[in-house]
Amino acid sequence: MVRLITHNLLACHVKGCTTNNFPLVFQDVQVELQEAEFNPDFIRNMLPRLEWTALVNAAKQVGDTSLPLEQPDMMDDELLQKLHHALMEIHIIEGAMVCQNCRHAYPISNGIPNMLLAEHEIG
Amino acid sequence: MPSTEYLFVFAQSHEEFRVPELLSISELYGFTIGFNRYANVLEKAVKRPFMILTLDNEEHAKILAQRCIMIKSVHEFYAEGASYDALHEHNCRARPQWERYIPDTSFKFYVLGYNFTISQRCQHEIIESFAYMDFLGKIDMKDPEVTLTVFEEYESDRAPHGELHKYGEFKQVYFGRLIVDGTARALIGTFNVKKRQYFGNTSMEAEISLLMANQTLASPGKLIYDPFIGTGSMAYTTAYFGALVYGSDIDGRQMHKTPGIIRAAAQYGVASRIMDLCTFDVTNHPWRCGSLFDAIITDPPYGVRAGAKRLGRKKLREDRDRFQYASPRPNEPYIPPTKPYELSQLVTDLVHLARYLLRPGGRLVFFLPTVSDEYAPLDVHAMLCDGMELVANSLQDFGSWGRRLITIKKTSLVEYPPPSFDSVRDAEESGDMYVPAHKDFREKYFQGFKKESES
Ligand SMILES: C[S@@+](CC[C@H](N)C(=O)[O-])C[C@H]1O[C@@H](n2cnc3c(N)ncnc32)[C@H](O)[C@@H]1O
Ligand SMILES: [Zn+2]
Repeated sequence: MVRLITHNLLACHVKGCTTNNFPLVFQDVQVELQEAEFNPDFIRNMLPRLEWTALVNAAKQVGDTSLPLEQPDMMDDELLQKLHHALMEIHIIEGAMVCQNCRHAYPISNGIPNMLLAEHEIG
Repeated sequence: MPSTEYLFVFAQSHEEFRVPELLSISELYGFTIGFNRYANVLEKAVKRPFMILTLDNEEHAKILAQRCIMIKSVHEFYAEGASYDALHEHNCRARPQWERYIPDTSFKFYVLGYNFTISQRCQHEIIESFAYMDFLGKIDMKDPEVTLTVFEEYESDRAPHGELHKYGEFKQVYFGRLIVDGTARALIGTFNVKKRQYFGNTSMEAEISLLMANQTLASPGKLIYDPFIGTGSMAYTTAYFGALVYGSDIDGRQMHKTPGIIRAAAQYGVASRIMDLCTFDVTNHPWRCGSLFDAIITDPPYGVRAGAKRLGRKKLREDRDRFQYASPRPNEPYIPPTKPYELSQLVTDLVHLARYLLRPGGRLVFFLPTVSDEYAPLDVHAMLCDGMELVANSLQDFGSWGRRLITIKKTSLVEYPPPSFDSVRDAEESGDMYVPAHKDFREKYFQGFKKESES
């Protein structure tokens, strides 16, 4: 169930892959929507840790175009609701996340991303 | 409002967990608890199941009783004594606290022995001895407006010479009015591992999982992470208290197919609070940035039930292993080689990782297994680092070994770089290394904790 918030917090961590290792790009994904409790404070607290553009693009990739391209200065309730939906309710069930830099593909199956590295990829 | 004294009655087990739990929950709800009576004797006092503590407000007693697993009940404290004479004398002085119930309040009297069963006849005599209070309201055993309780505290199941206690040889007797029964204790049944949809031999028992969750200050909107999630025992309890939980484990098998953790979380109605589960080695983790979590809660592998391992190879056996791993069979998923991960190194790494991943004020809550005869407080202090402070250290004693629930707080406001996971090796190379008793815990465990000279 990789949520978009999770996607936004994970980067490729292959040894030496330090530039352009985020965001990972979705490949052949299967998406599922699941309702989650709305907690505006949680969303507000997370915002400083999130990469807005990466989020907007990831959402677009899975068919959600509700977010503005630029991060607005003011977060009104409507926007928080949209963010909640994008971050918390869109789940990737199958597919992969691919590093744009080193091409490592992190498979997702049964909603669980496999972020284990191979022997030659660790420091 | 002036602060009032309350008699706290605790469950018999896990003595050292009581005070840290009280402090955590009072911090979470933003009030203080007065320990004035125990200024210099707290260490001794925590061994006893009764404590007299001050609170500003009766509501605070209710909050604690709803959330603290160790609380059996809380009472407005009236009197105590080493004898009934002393108790009654004290109780007369407390008259202003109870005289409002004299004219017309239904009531019930209870007499309970701790470590001793008091006969019906004796209970009756004891109740009679309070006749001077002269309560005029009716006695109501089902639904009284006030419940008055006498507790006789006997030292232990046995008197000092091994014979049974005699009636009346109590250490102390307490008297008070019931405010609230501890309702959080019922959660121990709710989270019973045996009744869970998914569990394994690494699952943590319900009571401890709940105590750990309370140490994290779990509450709605908090983000909490277990980097060694296994079968998820602590994810359920933290999520139950409202937190959103991430989990990861090096072993993906534990989490695949409609992940067991999700099924068990659904059983408790908290599936949507499991943020995500990921497979990775925590020493090679993909978190993009730090200062993410309000707490990290975990039971690190210490090599007894579930192996402590990390990606890489053992140095010594390099040639043999290379041969072994050289050609993975087609159609089989690639499984990278792993090497053992020594406990003291793992723990030092965990503290550094927590300093990076926690938000300022966030807490790291984890179990540290230790060898009872060799443990020294320095073992815990030596694993701290700049910006990380010890909040609590509670022993669960199994005899020759034990495990300590450690709570550490990130006090620093600065952001720290990700850890190298080589901190111990770096220190080893520089030669100035403190060796804690939990080093090589696995080996010591399987040797039955014999000293080298004995083996
Ligand atoms: C003591 S168990 C945790 C048990 C868990 N609290 C439960 O309720 O089942 C430790 C877990 O750590 C995992 N583990 C061991 N080494 C690891 C590593 N380097 N990175 C991540 N997980 C690891 C094991 O697979 C095991 O599931
Ligand atoms: Zn990469």
